[in-house]
Amino acid sequence: MTEIDYQDLPWPVREDITAAQRRAWNRLGRAGTWLTGAERIAIAGEARNAMNCELCQARKQALSTQFVKGSHDHLGQLSTLEVEQIHRICTDPGRLSRSWYLDLRDSGMAEERYVETVGVIATTVTVDTFTKGLGLGPWPLPTPRPGQPSRQRPIAAKRELAWVATLTPADAVGTPDADLYAGRPTAAHIYQAMSLVPAEVKGFFDLVTNQYLPPAAMMDFDNEYRAINHAQIELVAGRVSALNQCVY
Amino acid sequence: MTGTDAAGDGGVANGRKLIRFATAVLHDDASELAAARMDIADTMGGAALTDTAAVAALFNAIDRVADSTGIPLEDVKAAATVDFRAAIGINDFAAASEKGGAS
Repeated sequence: MTEIDYQDLPWPVREDITAAQRRAWNRLGRAGTWLTGAERIAIAGEARNAMNCELCQARKQALSTQFVKGSHDHLGQLSTLEVEQIHRICTDPGRLSRSWYLDLRDSGMAEERYVETVGVIATTVTVDTFTKGLGLGPWPLPTPRPGQPSRQRPIAAKRELAWVATLTPADAVGTPDADLYAGRPTAAHIYQAMSLVPAEVKGFFDLVTNQYLPPAAMMDFDNEYRAINHAQIELVAGRVSALNQCVY
Repeated sequence: MTGTDAAGDGGVANGRKLIRFATAVLHDDASELAAARMDIADTMGGAALTDTAAVAALFNAIDRVADSTGIPLEDVKAAATVDFRAAIGINDFAAASEKGGAS
């Protein structure tokens, strides 16, 4: 398997970024909580493929996604529901709606698999956008490893905060997933978003810590931690989020 | 890192270059992305370029996590940003009324 390595670039990539992406890639190919390694790699591959889907491109240009009917251009490894989930999240995230999510769920999408799929997409998008930004092609996806998903749903997860069930810091106390919040009484909603599958939160926030900032550094405006300062970081983040029409 | 660009930089040093890169990395014009990349590398340095790419990449993913799970903005953040969210048009985004709550 090709290992993520940026040493040949003309610009220095922090070693903690490289290490976090290697951990993410290693995790991508292994069985998760609800998906096998092969399923996770199929999802990552479909996430890449979605960017070339003609239906998605037509929908993206339409005033409403409902106006454009058709079938996704897909790789044939996943169900119709999974393809719809992956393509919409990848190509038009700003127009996802509660009714769209409920349609998927009512059609048979298990929310645990949905959330883990979100985590796989997020990992893939993070690494792929980084390489694109630096003028590189995407890294080969890792080879799937054998193994079965653990299928452990947090016992205190409930539908309250978001469309999907989440585990709040308060409800996590005293459960096997208490370590997700490490005793903290509160957490940003973005941290709770994938808490139905704690392993995805931990994995994705490993990337957050190293590509963005560690939690303690986010509000520490007396010190700078990167080659761009807090204001510059937030300007980049804000611009990307505005282009994605992300309300959060 | 000193010097603030003219209007369009968000009031941030080298803001115009950063906005240019963040815009280009989300689109498909390879030559524009290459130019935006070199603009940062040549003036802010290679480390600034790779850290900018890291942040842009991370938020391209975070947005998808937020939008696909339907999490709402925290109340305290919503209250603190109510004025400028309206002013800069965030409230007009398609999903502005879609987030939060049990389904």
